[in-house]
Amino acid sequence: MAKKILIIDDDPYTVKYLETLFQDNGYDTCSAADGVEGYDVLRAEQPDLITLDLEMPQEWGTRFYRKLSKDPEYKNLPIIVISGMPSSHLAIKKIVAHLSKPFDPKELLGIVRNTIG
Amino acid sequence: MKKPPILIVDDEPDIREVLSITLTDAGYTVYTAESGASALEVFREINPPIVLTDIKMPGMDGIELLERIKDENPDAEVIMITGHGDMDVAIKSLQQDATDFITKPINDHAMEAALKKARERIEVREKMRRYTENLESMILEKSRELSSSPGQQLSAGNDRAALSETAVFDELPCFIAILNRQFYFTTANRWFKENFNGELETKRCYQICKQIDEPCKQCPAAATFGDGQPHEAKSDFTTVQGHQYPVLVWTSPLRNAEGIIHRVLIMATPFDRLTDLQDHLSSLGLMVGSVSHGLKGLLTGLDGGMYMLDSGLEKDDTSQAREGLQVVKSMTERIRNMVLDLLFYAKKRELKKQPVNVADFAEDVAEVVAAKLNWQHIKFDRDFQKASGEISVDPAMLRSALVNILENAMDACMTDKEKSPKITFRVETQNDQTLFEIKDNGIGMDEETLKNIFTLFFSSKGKQGTGLGLFIANKVVTEHNGEIRVDSKKGKGSTFTIKIPR
Repeated sequence: MAKKILIIDDDPYTVKYLETLFQDNGYDTCSAADGVEGYDVLRAEQPDLITLDLEMPQEWGTRFYRKLSKDPEYKNLPIIVISGMPSSHLAIKKIVAHLSKPFDPKELLGIVRNTIG
Repeated sequence: MKKPPILIVDDEPDIREVLSITLTDAGYTVYTAESGASALEVFREINPPIVLTDIKMPGMDGIELLERIKDENPDAEVIMITGHGDMDVAIKSLQQDATDFITKPINDHAMEAALKKARERIEVREKMRRYTENLESMILEKSRELSSSPGQQLSAGNDRAALSETAVFDELPCFIAILNRQFYFTTANRWFKENFNGELETKRCYQICKQIDEPCKQCPAAATFGDGQPHEAKSDFTTVQGHQYPVLVWTSPLRNAEGIIHRVLIMATPFDRLTDLQDHLSSLGLMVGSVSHGLKGLLTGLDGGMYMLDSGLEKDDTSQAREGLQVVKSMTERIRNMVLDLLFYAKKRELKKQPVNVADFAEDVAEVVAAKLNWQHIKFDRDFQKASGEISVDPAMLRSALVNILENAMDACMTDKEKSPKITFRVETQNDQTLFEIKDNGIGMDEETLKNIFTLFFSSKGKQGTGLGLFIANKVVTEHNGEIRVDSKKGKGSTFTIKIPR
């Protein structure tokens, strides 16, 4: 069965981009516009990996990350941060990778493949 | 910049300890005091450039400490720590020239911001001091050149000589004057004369510079006459027209042939210009930061559109390719808007008016934001039923203005997603004008925000906003001879009404 990736980003164009990119490469996808919605989708879809934007209007991706890292069920779920922030600003430590927007799709796919196959 | 020593004043030992640790870690040399009285002692001994003091303390409170410190050294940067609800006291302290205030519980970022402000103020003062010092040596050098040139026998004791010196003084962009022991100006440069016109012979310096009849309490010129040393002071000059200039005054002794100080050279630099410029620069920095941030997002979208177009063509999936192309178009449009905004801010741009179909134009504007509103589950009502005919506008600029307002409405809705957010965009052709109305049910604005929304660099969105959007929207509408109005209630939402005449 294809691995599933949850995309959390407030920008619909970025979501569409990532969906197409992942689906073209044999992954299933699901998506959410912010961290709150992201948690619901997470429970419903049980993805294998998450890509997370940080600057989102209702609450920042960092908040979602903190919630996730305290949740025994999901704390080992791999996260790739894709954001416009320089990584040095972040208190997020345990992530697979941090990609800056605009990101290189080949690099992203390479990281995803290495992480979940 | 090297971090200056800091004095922390708080009656609670725990707070002193936590602050000491934090600030020592941040590289400051830290002194502490547990009361206003002991703080003053430490202050006199160490003269720390920055003081961080609690307001509520038994005995001498923070406000009194602030006053006493400012009496002893007006340049000391005093940051006040206030409890919640002490806003009146905090504002009072700012009026008494406190650098800033931070509220308890102390947030590291707020503290760092206040300290940065203090350090910047110290640095600006230091720069100005160096600037005036350089100015002085420049003047002395020029005077020497003049006095050594043949045919111009100059000596400081000679008033004709002083007159020639003004040829140099006249070109310098600050107030320069020479004062005698009776506090009359014997000479002054052009800049000075332009701002404080005349009667140099009949009026004393304080009457001319400050429009007051008593000598100033702390006069740097008097100090220089007294000890023969250069002195500096902060002061306010008031011109005959009533303009107030905050100035940095710098005095240095002039000796006659016998070596006796008979005149004092006074230089004064207005420093509101310097600090204004610095504020403007840091706002610009902020703006460039957030513009480049926005650009990163748009470039990602552009990448996405091109990828979808590519991959769609490869898979023979025409609808995906078409969607990709649509994204490319939309992103290009947004980037174009952003660049136009910047150009519009950076230099005056002539409007390029052309007739446009009102209904089509309205649809174009709506398209730019529709996808994002949909993704954010914000209901978007377009009411273009009464949009008809043509108007003559600069479509790119007006579209950019309307998109700015729509994006603002979107942000207002997203901050409070609980109450089924909704934006209505109504366009109506009326007799002699076209009406554009953008209405949201988002967080709304308080009066303070309302007053400032069209101000350059004002943003209620912190780092998310450039403070450019509504400023430009307003400017664009005004240049179309139109009017822009906003009604808003905190918690209820906002309505922007724009009217563009035919």
